[in-house]
Parts: sequence; C-alpha cells; structure tokens
Amino acid sequence: MNDFSELERQLENLRPAQPSSQLTERVEKALRDPVIIQPDRLNEGNTIERRFFESPYHIGWILAAAAAILIFFSIDLRKTTRQPQELARSPMAPANSPAARNLATFLPAGATQVVYHTQDEGLFFPAHSERPLRKVRSVTHETLQWRNAATGASLRVSYPTERVDLIPVWGQ
Amino acid sequence: MKDREQVMENAAAPEQWKTVFSQLAPGLVLFARQWVRTPADAEDIVQEAFVKFWRRNHQIDDRALLYATVRSTALDLIRRDSRRARRESAVLGDAEQTIEPQFEAGDDSQYALALAMEHLPHEQREVLVMKIWNELTFAEIAQALEISQNTAASRYRYALAALKKELLPR
Repeated sequence: MNDFSELERQLENLRPAQPSSQLTERVEKALRDPVIIQPDRLNEGNTIERRFFESPYHIGWILAAAAAILIFFSIDLRKTTRQPQELARSPMAPANSPAARNLATFLPAGATQVVYHTQDEGLFFPAHSERPLRKVRSVTHETLQWRNAATGASLRVSYPTERVDLIPVWGQ
Repeated sequence: MKDREQVMENAAAPEQWKTVFSQLAPGLVLFARQWVRTPADAEDIVQEAFVKFWRRNHQIDDRALLYATVRSTALDLIRRDSRRARRESAVLGDAEQTIEPQFEAGDDSQYALALAMEHLPHEQREVLVMKIWNELTFAEIAQALEISQNTAASRYRYALAALKKELLPR
C-alpha cells in the first residue's frame, strides 16, 4: 500500500511555471532553420568547438595538421632566417652560391642506431647451402646528424630500419 | 552533411515536434532548473538540448534520451561556465529568497510544498521532478540517469519521505 498517495496528489497539483513564449519561438525557429540557432546566453564558440570535436576522426586530423604545420615552419624558418645573409653576401652563380657552400660544409657529426626489437625466427635452410642459417630479424631506429661548424646549424635525419641477419650455424 | 540529412528527415514532422515540445516544455524547464538558478538559463539549456536531440534524429518518444540530453547539456554548461556558476551561487547564497519560483502560485500548502522541495538532496529531487511533473517511468528515469530502476525507485521514495517529514506540523 502506498502511504505517499496523498502527498503525490498534492505534488501533482503543483504546476510548474510556464516557460516564456520566446522559448517556444526560438525552438520553432531552430526546427525550421537548418542553421543552428544558439541561445543568446550560451557561449557560441564552445558549442561550435564541441560539435567539431564530436567525431574522434577530427582529433586525428587536427593532430596530423598540427604536426604538418610544425614541420613546415621548422624548415621554412631556417630558410627564411638564412636567406637575407646569403643574398647579401654573394651574387655568384648558383653552383658557387652560399647555399651550395653551406651544404658542402655540413659535416657528419654523429650516427646512432638503436635496436629496439630482435626476433629469432629460427633456422633457415637455403637451397644450395650445406649448413643451416639462423634468421634473426632486428628492428632498429637510426639517426644521422650533420653539423655546420661555421653557422652551428645541424641537420638530423631519423628513420626506422629493419635488418635480417642470416647467421651460419656450426656444430649443432 | 549529416546534419543536413537529419534535418531533411526530421522536416517530415516538424509540427509533431513542436506539439511535443509545447507539451514537455514546462517539465523540461523545471528539470533544467535544478542546475541553474534562473528560468532564463534553464530555458537556454532546454532549447539547446531539444534542438540537439532533434538534429540527431532521435525518436520523438525516446523520453529517457531527451532528459539525458537535457541533463548532459546542463552539466556541459556548468563545466564550461563554471566561473559564472560560482559567481551566481555566491550571490544567490546570500539572497536565496530572491530566486524566482519554479511553480505557479498556489495556496499556502502548495507554497510550503514547493519550498520543501528546495531542501531535498539533488539526486532525490531529480528523480521526483522526472516522475511527478514529467511522468517518466522508473525504467525511463533509470535509463536517463544511468542508474538501476531500484535506485531510481528508492530515491523517489526517499524524496517523498523527506517531504512528508518536512511538512509535518512541528
């Protein structure tokens, strides 16, 4: 037996305050109009931002775009900071241009090879070999670095590599 | 593009949507008032949530999802405008009597009841508002609030018990 029935009845008799007529008009307008109608008091920028971020793919695109912009500017800034000096210094032919000389003065400064995964793939029996070979696959990351002693500029290239070593097996 | 398609699909029954909105609006605004202090802010939340719900092409009779949308919109608003909310709560803390009424004017007993509702814990009041003035089932309330039906029913009973206790003559 519900001993709250009288209280429930009293609560039901309470009528919620009617919303303003503008609310109905605003909603009707939004339902008619494909363009999003935002309430005056809400922050429009945040709403648009949230809509944009609704899809997880957009985040990926933004990260990719940000990375591309960073790479572009890091390369472009180096070029633009050097260009005025180079142009002022030399009106010579392209082959002897300061840029070409600068490239020539980049000297190897270091090389690192980091092996971060090695997998023994077992014995391998080549067709014309008397002995089996052990196949070892290594995944590495190599970084080569050049440095221009005159300007202090450095150039670094990193790339992943994969190497397969075939090691002869003796006496097994 | 997707929005445009949804708009086209929903365009089939805009009158129906308007009718539903006019029926639900008072209850929705009352529901939204739990997170904000002014009717204007509550109306903004309801508008944004209802249009969002419509644009996403949800079923018009999926009330649990509609109320969940209102709730999440209100919480989003609080999060992104927390500074304003803090300012408002600070001001309203000093002047609680100036809050605009959430119910139409009635007799003294109704006024006392409306006032007692203000003292309910938020989670109980939320369920009570959904059940009494929005006529949601416990299953719908549970779905909207992401709680079990038993929890929804318990909160409702606790709310009624608290109100009864509050209204007892002292």
